[in-house]
Amino acid sequence: MKYTFVFNPDLCSSCSSCVIGCMDQNDFDPESGDLPFRKTFQNEIELADGSHYSAYISAACMHCVDAPCIDACPVGCLSKDPETGFTVYDNTNCIGCKSCAMACPFGAPRYRKSDGKMVKCDGCNERVKAGLKPACVKACSFGALQCVPEEEFLAEGSAKACNVLIDQLGLRRK
Amino acid sequence: MNKYAIVGFGCAGYHAAEKIRSRDQEAVIDVYSDTDIGPYNPMLTTYFVKGSLPYEGMFPFGSLEECEKKLNLHIKKECPVTAVDGENRMICCADGTKEQYDRILLSTGASALKPPIPGLSLPGVFTMRTAEDAVRLKERIASGKLKTALVIGASWVGIKVVEDFVEAKVATTLVDGAPWMFYVAAFEETARRAKEDLEKKGVRVSLCQMLDHIEANADGTLTAFMKSGDTFTADTIGVCIGVRTNTGFLKDSGIAMNRGILVNSRMQTNLPGIYAAGDCVEAKDIQSGQPKNIGVWYNAGRQGEVAGENMAGGFMEFDANILVNLAHYLDYDFICVGDVSACGPEDEYYEYEDEKLYIKACKNGQKIKCINMIGSADANGVVKNIFIKTIETPEAEIDVKSVCYLLTNGFPEAFISFLRRK
Repeated sequence: MKYTFVFNPDLCSSCSSCVIGCMDQNDFDPESGDLPFRKTFQNEIELADGSHYSAYISAACMHCVDAPCIDACPVGCLSKDPETGFTVYDNTNCIGCKSCAMACPFGAPRYRKSDGKMVKCDGCNERVKAGLKPACVKACSFGALQCVPEEEFLAEGSAKACNVLIDQLGLRRK
Repeated sequence: MNKYAIVGFGCAGYHAAEKIRSRDQEAVIDVYSDTDIGPYNPMLTTYFVKGSLPYEGMFPFGSLEECEKKLNLHIKKECPVTAVDGENRMICCADGTKEQYDRILLSTGASALKPPIPGLSLPGVFTMRTAEDAVRLKERIASGKLKTALVIGASWVGIKVVEDFVEAKVATTLVDGAPWMFYVAAFEETARRAKEDLEKKGVRVSLCQMLDHIEANADGTLTAFMKSGDTFTADTIGVCIGVRTNTGFLKDSGIAMNRGILVNSRMQTNLPGIYAAGDCVEAKDIQSGQPKNIGVWYNAGRQGEVAGENMAGGFMEFDANILVNLAHYLDYDFICVGDVSACGPEDEYYEYEDEKLYIKACKNGQKIKCINMIGSADANGVVKNIFIKTIETPEAEIDVKSVCYLLTNGFPEAFISFLRRK
């Protein structure tokens, strides 16, 4: 069963519980300078008409259907998990060339200086395969972040899903 | 039963074969390769030399045999194509055989440029493009006999070869004919910073140096004589001055070409049934609207997919062709998005520098022309996508998430305003 991350910015307060969940799940050591895969943003942005928008956003890899990072990787580290549809990786042969970061419009792949390899959110692939929620989703108290089966997502036609953002950014192939 | 030919089996050829096979299980797919090794990425050669990657790692799709089996191909190894009869879609091989096809893909890639300058064939003078080039250099470095090296060409490959030598503690000099490094991509101010960084890391850099010829010395060293009158002596000399598309065999084919094969957004050439993809083509650059040869792995893969899909009866377009250069070497990141040569004194410039980040960008009215950034690696894709969107939909605002991302990652508000063309 394939899954889709759904984010509702109206329910997000940028409390960063999702970030803590990500850090905990992936054993990040903040003191080493290693950053979690998920990030939250809280910014006031001036819009084109001069009004202001208060943005509360939680973001990580969007697990694009046609993920450009996969094609960009010269050593084939990235792939789609056929079961979950998440963009996963095996960085054994990663050369740290940062081509995946260059391809990603969301800034999801990140260079890890300690071993010179790229890392990214894998959707908590193993958790989801085991029937659990991704750590960030589990940590979200407000229901702003969800991970739903693709069929459910398509049936709901949610206008707030991450994949709507992907469409807005023109990332689907013609 | 449809019969396809793929001439040249690198990234573009592999992706096209994969796409054709996914749409047409019965098709006969003949692959013509001038080597006996699997598709590989020329960019990986320097990583193999440095030891970041095992030899097998250069072949992300496996060996020719594995590709043949996986995609049910007929691979003709070490079978260079010498001519294409474009009107009749006929492939002519060096051994005299001829074969007609329903569809042909030309994906022959590019080769290291080796101009007819005296001395370039001397032992110890090398180029870096093929897996064989990489094996040879790795062995020479491993021998411990190289104490000094000269790299001619501050190109994307040249700088990686410099990195290989520095990592191996070989005293290295980098020379280039242009007045500053990365001349086709960098503003002068960006290049000056890159040069200073390289010099701090022990690399001697000399610019405005055009090669006249190379001579071998009695003690086994080589001397490069420059048109300026300067000379540079080293144990080995790398010539990394660019690439040339592998299209010589198409001279009388009737296929339209500039420096590369001209294609439309569906990767079709001017002749029906003949497609081209990868480093040998000139596809439309979305910034200038003109055909441009932009040879990067990502483009090759996507172009191969697009060609394969269209060859097999589908419809797909390649529309992301823009000049993007990424140099990552010796713990230094430089990216250029857009065409620096399109920038002039009449344009508006933005410049910013702090301890981690350097940005220089150029625009004219609503049109962003070029962005240089040093030290921005994780955000490169975000900025590149904003750049593309300003070309595709000039009236659109930058999406909120991208603005948040840049602000949170230390990009100044003034830069975002510049990108928003406010």
